[in-house]
Amino acid sequence: MTDRANNEANDTDTQGSEYDRLFYPYLFAGGRVSLDEVLNQVQHSTLEKCRDVIALRRATLATARETLLAAAAAMARAFAAGATLLAFGNGGSTTDAQDLVTDLLHPPVAHWRPLPAIALANDIAVVTAIGNDVGFENIFTRQIIAFGHPGDIAVGISTSGNSLNVLRAFEQAKKQGLLTVALAGYDGGKARRSPAVDFCIISPGDHIPRIQEAQATVYHALLELVQAHLAAEKVRANSDEIRR
Amino acid sequence: MTADEQAPLRAILEQRFALSTSLPATFFEHEAPRIAEACWAMARRFHQGGRLLAFGNGAWATDAQHVSVEFVHPVIVGKRALPALALTNDSATLSGLMAGGRPEMPFSEQLRVLARPSDIALGFSPDGRCANVQAALEQARRMGLLTLAMLGGDGGLITTETVDYRFVVASDDPFIVQEIHETLYHVLWELVHVFFEHEGLLQ
Repeated sequence: MTDRANNEANDTDTQGSEYDRLFYPYLFAGGRVSLDEVLNQVQHSTLEKCRDVIALRRATLATARETLLAAAAAMARAFAAGATLLAFGNGGSTTDAQDLVTDLLHPPVAHWRPLPAIALANDIAVVTAIGNDVGFENIFTRQIIAFGHPGDIAVGISTSGNSLNVLRAFEQAKKQGLLTVALAGYDGGKARRSPAVDFCIISPGDHIPRIQEAQATVYHALLELVQAHLAAEKVRANSDEIRR
Repeated sequence: MTADEQAPLRAILEQRFALSTSLPATFFEHEAPRIAEACWAMARRFHQGGRLLAFGNGAWATDAQHVSVEFVHPVIVGKRALPALALTNDSATLSGLMAGGRPEMPFSEQLRVLARPSDIALGFSPDGRCANVQAALEQARRMGLLTLAMLGGDGGLITTETVDYRFVVASDDPFIVQEIHETLYHVLWELVHVFFEHEGLLQ
């Protein structure tokens, strides 16, 4: 509270960036800004962002419900046949790829089956070596060549749907007979139109942080659906065993 | 696949999205005032030259990395780069410290050597019972860092005495806990920049 009192005493701040004047015009309406005004507006923005992500998740489900179900069924069939999943993306989408991979390898639910998966940005030696020697657009492609087998699964995450290294990786994966699944934002971008992509799950938003948050729900749902398929498969196999 | 076989799968999908479109509203309505205060506190630390040091285990290690890339390389054009790093990225040091056989040690030892009093420590723990996260937050507090914890369940052993800002997503579902953490650190990052535009509030 002492800090706050001090700040209120010298609240003579009138500057602010163009971005803030554009997106937070109320902060400058009176020409002077007090701490309480800014705190109030930050609270207001927080709730607005929360509403935005909820709306985007609803739109994602409405847009992609059938694609999601079909992709999960295909991924479960691939895992049942021994597939390894290769996941990739850039920036925050790389960490989402890593998150998907660790949830497969080391599931958060006790009875889930651990499944083989590799995040293609995890090996910083490989990423920087390929980026430096043959170009950043090849950092994933080269690893698909090294790791990908027919029947494996390639999952690429790109908020724009246009990341060149992700699109190239899909093309290489398709050539090698992998199942390809894209998570994309906006209108799906080039990933939606790529013949190399089997399933493109679109979160139709236009702000990257919200798209990533909706995509987290998408791959969490995919994980649950894949595990449910594999559990149902196991029950069927066991009852066949008993009948014999 | 028959409609009968499809029904439970459809139910799983609907339930996941139902949770992910309901719990965030409850959480953010309750926490918005604290979030605004935390943004202001973080902005003041960055203004003093502080850095964000983030850490967590398992899936939350990826969140430590995610929040770091947001600050260092903002997707919003024109926002300045702010220093942030994930302790989990240094697999050599982490595995080296873990080979010592004290599971609570790695993050707190990294902080002891690397952190400065003006820095910000952000620890993730889905149940508040990660001994290494708890030990690191305690170490950070002793060193004078601003401390934040993003937790789930009942918040576990990481209490309001342990940290300056404690955010608990009251759920045992690890996916929704993580999704709300992601929105929370995105919001902190987006809105720290608002305070940055008002130097008078950062003294």
